[in-house]
Amino acid sequence: MAALANSFLSPESSRLKPGELSTGTTIMAVPFPGGVVLGADSRVSTGTYIANRTSDKIAQLSSKIFCCRSGSAADTQALTDYVRFYLQQWEVETGRNATVKVAAHLMRKICYQNKDNLSAGVIVGGWDEVDGGSVYNIPLGGTMIKMDCAIGGSGSTYIYGLTDALHKPNMTKAETVAMVKKSISHAMARDGSSGGIIRTCIVDESGVEREYIPGNQLPYGP
Amino acid sequence: MSEFTASETPESIAPPPAGFSFENVKRNAAISASGTTGAYTQAKAMKTGTTIVGTIFKGGVVLGADTRATGDTTVCDKNCEKIHYMAPNIYCCGAGTAADTEKTTELIASQLELLRMSTKTQSRIVTACTLLKRMLFRYQGHVSAALVLGGCDINGPHVYQIYPHGSTGKLPYTTMGSGSLAAMSVFESEWKEDMTEDEAKGLVERAITAGIFNDLGSGSNCDTCVIRMDGSIQMNRGALKENPVEPLRDAIKRSDRFNFPRGTTAVLSTEFVAHKTKGLSLDDVDVVTMDTN
Amino acid sequence: MSILEYNGAAIIAMAGKNCVGIAADTRLGVQAQTVACDFKKVFKMGDKLFVGLAGLASDVQTLDQLLTFRKNLYELKEEREMKPKVFSAMLSSILYEKRFGPYFAEPVVAGLDDDGKPFLSAMDLIGAPVYTDDFVVSGTCTGNLYGMCETLYKPDLEPDDLFETLAQALLASVDRDALSGWGGVVHIITKEGVTSRELKGRQD
Repeated sequence: MAALANSFLSPESSRLKPGELSTGTTIMAVPFPGGVVLGADSRVSTGTYIANRTSDKIAQLSSKIFCCRSGSAADTQALTDYVRFYLQQWEVETGRNATVKVAAHLMRKICYQNKDNLSAGVIVGGWDEVDGGSVYNIPLGGTMIKMDCAIGGSGSTYIYGLTDALHKPNMTKAETVAMVKKSISHAMARDGSSGGIIRTCIVDESGVEREYIPGNQLPYGP
Repeated sequence: MSEFTASETPESIAPPPAGFSFENVKRNAAISASGTTGAYTQAKAMKTGTTIVGTIFKGGVVLGADTRATGDTTVCDKNCEKIHYMAPNIYCCGAGTAADTEKTTELIASQLELLRMSTKTQSRIVTACTLLKRMLFRYQGHVSAALVLGGCDINGPHVYQIYPHGSTGKLPYTTMGSGSLAAMSVFESEWKEDMTEDEAKGLVERAITAGIFNDLGSGSNCDTCVIRMDGSIQMNRGALKENPVEPLRDAIKRSDRFNFPRGTTAVLSTEFVAHKTKGLSLDDVDVVTMDTN
Repeated sequence: MSILEYNGAAIIAMAGKNCVGIAADTRLGVQAQTVACDFKKVFKMGDKLFVGLAGLASDVQTLDQLLTFRKNLYELKEEREMKPKVFSAMLSSILYEKRFGPYFAEPVVAGLDDDGKPFLSAMDLIGAPVYTDDFVVSGTCTGNLYGMCETLYKPDLEPDDLFETLAQALLASVDRDALSGWGGVVHIITKEGVTSRELKGRQD
């Protein structure tokens, strides 16, 4: 039965150890000219039980670089802890702010080298002086893909078409935020492993804005 | 190595190696595989089918736990302690394999004490949480300790949930163990922000009681622990005793058949060994006065 | 079948008034076949300290040696007797050290404190301690032993009455367990000394 139930889940969650917490998730990150928007639902589950309904799946890696986590909660937490640690060290040693590319490469490297022991799919996004807002998707095996619109987690399968339709090049910040919120709302409605509230993180040159939408005020529907 | 050779450092003066010892693993795997009537089943350890909870309130944290420990379906301990000491301002409730929760919290409590000695600073709850999650993540869920960590530090009152695989969450209120669903239903319907200490204590007691009565793995009494922002601690062993043993035992009309007169049991041999007087005293030696010339 | 049930055992420790008792059967079996009926499962660790080890016979004897060694080392280093509480903590650590490749033995500890108060503890095979002030049991018929102890136990028994209670609880329990029995021993520890009795039990 466990195997059967797992077959409905995303590749990340199908490799979980028994009893392990999963962020059976919808995560998303979209760059816009001058910044980036990251979004995630807030559900953490063990099987059918919701262990945390207001978790924060958007982890901070450095002052303007963030990362959306999906897969095993333990693995992705450990992973982001390591990347945060190495990035901080790198920033002290070089005396510069890390770029999103550096952060994503570091994440990719650890994901790839430990791929047999990890079930983690992450999206790294942020703002830096070199590239402005940028987003890198790092799915299960440790590949790294620079993307204009990255989605991930079990809920993402429901909204590939929606994001393709909603995403346009050179959107404004407000348009991008609206698109992210709408997409995640629709994924949460269809995916049993996604739910709770939507947390967003908007990063641009001026700084970081964290927001959330309560579960009863989701922009769902046409 | 023969016991007659003493070429290595004698075991008696070598410090014991740190960490787990895996010397029996191969042997045990061979034993498990060698069963004549099929493989031997894995010997089962004692579990704490448990209800543990934690919540913050206006001026601190309240932790709660039931007191039942089970081995398979047998109740091994009717009044065990599941709220473990971590630091003077931090306590931790444990669920899962009894030995794992006991020893993991003990180990991290010791690391925190050493850290306090070297930094001369009060331990923070995040530090305890990080040490615990690192240890649990290292063992990839094989150390099965599910914890509710709570306490007060300079940043205020905090409650963390920690899962056996090493994932953590910081929450205003949380429940863990097999009775967590029953306890959570109480929290989700009654919890509110900025409760008073009495409100929080009452809520925790009701949540644990829900676990005790609705979860088979949880039972006996309810322990609570209040950790306040002013640094004071109130450990309530048996805050609620809804299942006392004494009245049950007293209610039994003890048949006289169970009061065995002396000599009932057939004995083949009896031997009495008196304790030897312990240790050396001045009476045992000839006292020689020291030559001070 | 669990490897803990390979050789068979039944052990009880019970507190009385300023005394404590520990009782065990003496059978050594290889599954259903009885090999010996004078097998030692209770070991004297100090004047007022006994440990009972139920489980795989080879691990019972290994643990006895290891415990004696570690206790002697402690007493030589510290120049004081090991208290039951300390012994119990040491045993727990020894067992937990082998968390991922355990000794297949479940111990019970019975002793008297410095002030003559009973100390009882039991552990699972990876060292999770249980402290009680009435009785603890271990072995292949814990269900029976718990049942008998819950029925027969009375607080504050005198040494001689504690013996009868322990002996009857043990004998009745092992009569309904195929893997333990074939005689028993009971040690009653008081401030003055230790009374050890061999029980006449059924040989089937």
